[in-house]
Amino acid sequence: MNGTGHIVEVLAPQLIVVLTGALVLVADLVLPRREGEYPGRTWLAAASVTGLIAAGVAAFMAPANTSLLGGTLAVDGLSRFFDLVFIGIGIAVIGLSVDSVHRFTPWVAEYYALVLWCTAGNMMVALATGLFSLAVFLQLTSLPLIALLGLAKNDPRAREAALKYLLVVLVSTSLLLWGLSLVFGATGTDDMRGIAMAAAGGTLPALGAAGLVFMLAGFAFKVTSVPFQFWAPDVYEGAPPAVTAFLSVGSKLAGFALVVRFLALSIDALDISLAVGALAVASMTLGNLGALKQHNIRRLLAYSGIAQAGYILVGVAASSVTGLSAVLFYLAAYAIANALAFTVVVSFVDATGLDEVGDLSGLARRNPLAAFALAGALMSLAGLPLTVGFMAKFYVFMSAAESGLYWLTLAAVINAVLAFAYYLRIVWTLYVSDEEHAHVSMTRRHALVMVVGALGVVVIGLFPAPLLDAAHRAVTALIAG
Amino acid sequence: MPPILSLMVFLPLLGAVAIAAAPADRPTWPRWIAAATTAVVLGLAVWMFATIEPGGGVQFVERYPWIPLANIEYHLGVDGLSVLLVVLAALLSFLAVLASWRIDKRPRFYFSMILLLAVGTNGVFMALDFVLFYVFWELVLVPMYFLIAVWGGERRSYAAVKFFLYTMLGAVIMLVGILALYLHPLGGTFDMLELADRGFPVQFQWWVFLAFFLGFAVKVPVWPLHTWLPDAHVEAPTAASALLAGILLKMGTYGFMRIALPILPEAWAQWRWFIALLAVISIVYGALVAFAQKDLKKLVAYSSVSHMGFAMLGIAAGTAVGLNGAQAVNISHGFLSAMLFLSVGMVYERAHTRQIAEISGLATKMPVLAGLFAFASFASLGLPGLSGFVGEFLSLLGSWDSTLAPGYTIVAAIGVLLGAAYMLWMVQRVILGEVAPSIAEAPDASPREIATLLPLATLSLAMGVWWLWTLQHFNAYSTGLAKILGG
Repeated sequence: MNGTGHIVEVLAPQLIVVLTGALVLVADLVLPRREGEYPGRTWLAAASVTGLIAAGVAAFMAPANTSLLGGTLAVDGLSRFFDLVFIGIGIAVIGLSVDSVHRFTPWVAEYYALVLWCTAGNMMVALATGLFSLAVFLQLTSLPLIALLGLAKNDPRAREAALKYLLVVLVSTSLLLWGLSLVFGATGTDDMRGIAMAAAGGTLPALGAAGLVFMLAGFAFKVTSVPFQFWAPDVYEGAPPAVTAFLSVGSKLAGFALVVRFLALSIDALDISLAVGALAVASMTLGNLGALKQHNIRRLLAYSGIAQAGYILVGVAASSVTGLSAVLFYLAAYAIANALAFTVVVSFVDATGLDEVGDLSGLARRNPLAAFALAGALMSLAGLPLTVGFMAKFYVFMSAAESGLYWLTLAAVINAVLAFAYYLRIVWTLYVSDEEHAHVSMTRRHALVMVVGALGVVVIGLFPAPLLDAAHRAVTALIAG
Repeated sequence: MPPILSLMVFLPLLGAVAIAAAPADRPTWPRWIAAATTAVVLGLAVWMFATIEPGGGVQFVERYPWIPLANIEYHLGVDGLSVLLVVLAALLSFLAVLASWRIDKRPRFYFSMILLLAVGTNGVFMALDFVLFYVFWELVLVPMYFLIAVWGGERRSYAAVKFFLYTMLGAVIMLVGILALYLHPLGGTFDMLELADRGFPVQFQWWVFLAFFLGFAVKVPVWPLHTWLPDAHVEAPTAASALLAGILLKMGTYGFMRIALPILPEAWAQWRWFIALLAVISIVYGALVAFAQKDLKKLVAYSSVSHMGFAMLGIAAGTAVGLNGAQAVNISHGFLSAMLFLSVGMVYERAHTRQIAEISGLATKMPVLAGLFAFASFASLGLPGLSGFVGEFLSLLGSWDSTLAPGYTIVAAIGVLLGAAYMLWMVQRVILGEVAPSIAEAPDASPREIATLLPLATLSLAMGVWWLWTLQHFNAYSTGLAKILGG
């Protein structure tokens, strides 16, 4: 890292997001309310989005390649990539929430503030190079989510989801901290590269190795990969759909942000291909097999998300420049497609109160835009050509093959075919089913998010080069370090 | 020069978008837009065929960087191998629109899928970059899936998913092969032409060939990977069946001749006995199963398995003559299988049954339709002077003259007899005989129906007579390929 900058200047994007959250809470106190009507709630959303856009501009202008707080935070190409992705996710989540938050919770301002703070936490995770800052930032992403899940206090399913999530956070955080203290005790450093070097040099005692395994648990929980994936279906199904949307992309990407950085710093020191490859195969297979028999769309997307984590781990297992660039590209592709799919789900649940796959029957004629958006999102998650998901899968699979892991590539492509079985089932329901149902209306803002998302899926699918180059640059700069 | 290939790929896409945007209360617009688009594409294809120089290598090339990081290009071109297939695809797309004129269930969706299919099939035969090729290869699945799933018969959902997953599984395994070629030290490019005859190590070739074999053999289809075909064909609507048999199956044999053979010649030498074996089994098995069918459409479907076996036999032979035979089967089967499926569809529309036992006396009741149907049957069974004969004869001659054991050719020749037998028996039962009650009130072929079938019959006859002229472009390609293969 080349020198240090002033902390306010360097962390401007994160600070703007945090402050916007506070501002939204304050504004909530002064905005007028009339007889159960709250016209100001749209303004709160607008303020949040404006704050996020300002943070995005700041991320572009912030000095690159700086380290902070004694080298435990790094602002570089990787963190900028994730800043922009998390800001995009934040904007999408707020956009798809605007018309539905007040349906499930009276605390609209708190909802936006928590989304913003969680976004800031996600952005911070992408900066951390030290274990202790990492532990703190991971809490910064998890705690707002617990509160978000609990906001729907009148919905017993949501309360149950919040409680389950809380318990999983507690267990995984305990394991993470336990592992972290073991690693620190064994190596005497909390710096990621130092730990990797110690592990590679054989100076990591058994205790430290055990610590790394415990830390893995904390990470697997975040990205919903095996062996900490079991909570996802229940929580995704129970939580308010907008919160599930946020959980399914923001939280997962934060977990992978940390993995990418750790791996990039230790790429020549650690050989993790076999272990991560095994986790990848387990996640893909378990997620896809689980999704095959789901009837609830959110539950299905939870299993799909477990499988997606598996595909991303394929790129991690490749542990190469290509692999990590592929992971970054895949994460962006996944975020767009999954957020798009959930936008349709949110809008559909708002309009009908239903969330079974069968309820979507004939959506192509009941609301062509929503059906097209959902089909596009699912086909992107499945990896069909001309969607962004195809290039993501192509590049991830190629990276595994490039590292000589043909067994992993083969397992991944066969899983990709398996996944088509359930994604296609939904598309079938949307387009083929002949049953006549009433028109499903949606708000203009939902439609706007859908149009933007669908354009993203197709346009980046057709012209993936710029995003791919950005991912590649971020990774090469990091490794050259 | 205008980018004629890109036009042929993207005009249908434009048409599909236009159809999707057409007002819902104008149910006739979609078919007119589709007809106009496919007619223009057909015109471009004919013009391309007329101006392409035989033996001039790859022509009409369009080449731009697409994803520079991985060296992936937008690279289109046609040569002796692809030119006739592109014309065939354009022709069948147009005829498929004509044959679908009476579709009244969700016409916008239907015709945009027909056009989207044309995007994929045109692209597959023109793409010279592996990734682009793969994109078109998979793109073909989507419209065909919908065509079967929405407008198909009773078990359409099952058939559509089976078709999709089978082909997809073959495709992704092929993708692993593509990646292996690119990542090999001697590879380093996705350019299909450049990778030809690079001298990859034999062991490596063997594995990659296996991957490509699975991808292509599912598509052809070769026994025992054919089981999706009867389901898909029987459930698909008429025009989709015609396109499936007429174009989509050729993607498999095209893949062998464009990719697997030139790039992996040594592996081909090791695998060819196996290909020949499966080809011969396909020929005989397809014919025997066709014999046993009670459903007219299923009979035609199994006849496809049998006929495509001859193309595979020619590919296993690997001589210029054998490869010419394989290509002749491709083209001829493209005309005739489409014609057979369209005829069967027209008969079904009248009789409301496809059971062979419930249809007879077509010749008495509707002589024109019966005549065209009989023509397709005779051409298909290999009557000399018509196109079916050219392909089967050249394939057999090629395999006999090649280093393959003579047993393959002998068994395949028996397959020819079987093929003649089940076709003749079908003609005897369905076209001749007393008029069955199911068609007692039915009219003869309408002018539109004649216009759909007659071009195919004419082309089959023309190819049967001027087969040397028809194969002039391909002959240069097959001679070069045979040289690489050492034949």
